[in-house]
Amino acid sequence: MSEVDMAVIKPEMMKSYIWIQTTDGAIQQVEQEVAMFCPMICQEVIQKGMGSSKNCAISLPQRVSPAMLSLILDYCRFHQVAGRSNKERKSFDEKFVRMDTKRLCELTSAADSLQLKPLVDLTSRALARIIEGKTPEEIREIFHLPDDLTEEEKLEPLKNTTDDPRIRLLNRLYAKKRKELKEREKLKDVDTEEEHVDDRSVDDLLSFINGGDGDSKGIKTSKNKKKHKKRKDLQKCAPSNEAFEMHKKESNAASSLCHNAEVDHELQSSLSEKLKLQDAAGEIFAPTVEFDDVDIDDEIDPALKEEIDRNSSAQNGIFDGCNCFRLFWRIATTTWDRGKEWKKQMIAISGHDLHL
Amino acid sequence: MDTELDRISSLPGHVLDQILSVLPIRDAVRTSALSRKWRYKWSQIPHLVFDTQCASITSQDQTIVKNELVNIIDSVLLLHNGPIYKFKLSHRDLLGVSDIDRWILHLSRGSTKEFVLEIWKGQRYKLPSCLFSFENLTHLELFNCLLKPPSAFKGFRNLKSLDLQHVTLAQEVFENLISSCALLERLTLMNFDGFTHLKINAPNLQFFDIGGIFDDVSFENTSLLTLVSIGLYANVRNVSHGSSSKFLRFFVNLPHIRRLEIQSYFIKYLALSKVPSRLPKPCMDLNYISIRINFNDFEENSAALCILKSCPNLQEIEMLGRPEEQADEEPQTGFWGDDQWKCLFGQLRLVKMVGISGIRSELDCIKFLLSNSPVLEQMTVKPASIEGGWELVKELLRFRRASIQAEVIYLEP
Repeated sequence: MSEVDMAVIKPEMMKSYIWIQTTDGAIQQVEQEVAMFCPMICQEVIQKGMGSSKNCAISLPQRVSPAMLSLILDYCRFHQVAGRSNKERKSFDEKFVRMDTKRLCELTSAADSLQLKPLVDLTSRALARIIEGKTPEEIREIFHLPDDLTEEEKLEPLKNTTDDPRIRLLNRLYAKKRKELKEREKLKDVDTEEEHVDDRSVDDLLSFINGGDGDSKGIKTSKNKKKHKKRKDLQKCAPSNEAFEMHKKESNAASSLCHNAEVDHELQSSLSEKLKLQDAAGEIFAPTVEFDDVDIDDEIDPALKEEIDRNSSAQNGIFDGCNCFRLFWRIATTTWDRGKEWKKQMIAISGHDLHL
Repeated sequence: MDTELDRISSLPGHVLDQILSVLPIRDAVRTSALSRKWRYKWSQIPHLVFDTQCASITSQDQTIVKNELVNIIDSVLLLHNGPIYKFKLSHRDLLGVSDIDRWILHLSRGSTKEFVLEIWKGQRYKLPSCLFSFENLTHLELFNCLLKPPSAFKGFRNLKSLDLQHVTLAQEVFENLISSCALLERLTLMNFDGFTHLKINAPNLQFFDIGGIFDDVSFENTSLLTLVSIGLYANVRNVSHGSSSKFLRFFVNLPHIRRLEIQSYFIKYLALSKVPSRLPKPCMDLNYISIRINFNDFEENSAALCILKSCPNLQEIEMLGRPEEQADEEPQTGFWGDDQWKCLFGQLRLVKMVGISGIRSELDCIKFLLSNSPVLEQMTVKPASIEGGWELVKELLRFRRASIQAEVIYLEP
């Protein structure tokens, strides 16, 4: 009986076996329908006529060890039965891949060399599940990977930006601003005078720019100086001024808008649109806009400054810096607005022109 | 004990690609920090999927999540090194139009084959014109988008599968799109607007699935079409009977159809034209049919009967009632029960009746099917409501069955 006849084999006939030789030289018989589930074995049988007797046993690829073969055959034995429900198969699969990572890797390799795609998919997903959510150190530990990268190379490109202290700061600022806009909208009927609202927020602004701690008085003065400096720098380039104007109009318009959270989206997206326009002209990244990191760093806890410097010099994330840049631009324009109002206030209070 | 062996890095490249493709993007990118071998492995994965699970962004604030996502996608696209064959973007919080424009522009410079874009909320997103220059596109899937290709657009030469849901496009745009994508094999259209005449001229089309509101549908040159599922979501009322050949034309152009699903009000649309007692050419290949029908409507019943009589090789039938409508209309009697409608379903093995309220017409139909299917194995009857269930069961018990093995199963409503 040649193997070509297998296509018309009737169930009443005796179970047929295929001879397989494992890497350790041992030859064994495997039920035909189970073995044929593996495309590689199937190919050997059909195209080369191997496996019909002990002499022409199919020799398995190097990557399939005897232990792996028995696992794979278990898998095939279960799945080649047609009548099983999807639920049954899924449940079997889940239990099947519960093994240590070493065996899982070996199994993946063996299944791949036998071209058993469903099993490769299953084991790949299991390996992916192991990797998911873990830090690089943990993964290295589990898979015994060599620790051969330099410190710089080890920095992950997509660092979770919400952990970055600079971004956390900005996020707090945004949250406060959104709240403000909401309140402003509520107070719209009562009092639409921007200055009153600004009054409160300027202090808030100053206090949380400093991380909510530290004395505001001493830092206030230096802050004003910086603001003034920025103003001077920015006045140098006309297009940047435009941005201020546009932004001011935006914030004025925003306060009179009658939507709540929608405002923030619109505001931000319109801001980003305008910034985009500037991007296109290449002005934001032009050196004429002076925006030293030094200025910004002083507003942050000096203890963090070191860490930030270290990170920024070893930047793998390309847009990390540029994004911050843009976000700081927005902060500056926001605080710039307030600064002017604040200055007006100070003049009114102190009675003489503050020379900043 | 060789516990120190690094087994995973030596797996073949395509297996590692597979593992990395299954990981959420952020975890995949993180593998670049594992070891020397892994440093650039992720940057060559050909599939990029940005969905709600791609990165765990721990923040309730939508704007923060959105900014985070934009940052991630920008970084990944920039750091990626190699062809991007599949790109999927489907995130709940993504609204930034200009960002998506930018990413599509980036992809248009490469050789993307599969492009999936789902805009979860907000207005229809207008696709930038650079999308229409994707030369290698084989699969396009869009959700909540507006398509307005440039006038020079000559179609996607390699497009095999098109899936448009909640889209807007003009009539000419639609027709051009279909006729210019000569290799199109699968077409899915759900909830569309901007066009109402569906002229499908697609020589390679095999799978056609639509659900929406349209005025007419016609097939041309679609001899390979084997699976058709059409749902007309709006009730057609008293449209002029001008074109009486709609019914005939529909079937003439589907000579090799194997599965047909007539959903919502589509049977009514078909029934508007003149329905013969039998189709001129029987549908020999049709082995599955599903019809949603108002059992009290004479025209719909005639249309359904005509189709059933013209498909001798049916293996499975599903009929779904429209109980809300059936209650209003006058009960039809004697339609299916008429002895002259003798028909042989030589291959029919499974029948599903759903939404049955026990009216005369339905019972006659069940009786008709039972007595004309000698190899029937199972019929399931699912009532529309609990009321009248007992009466229904009593009737079902009486019916003669042509098949000895037939089981009639009454399901809970």
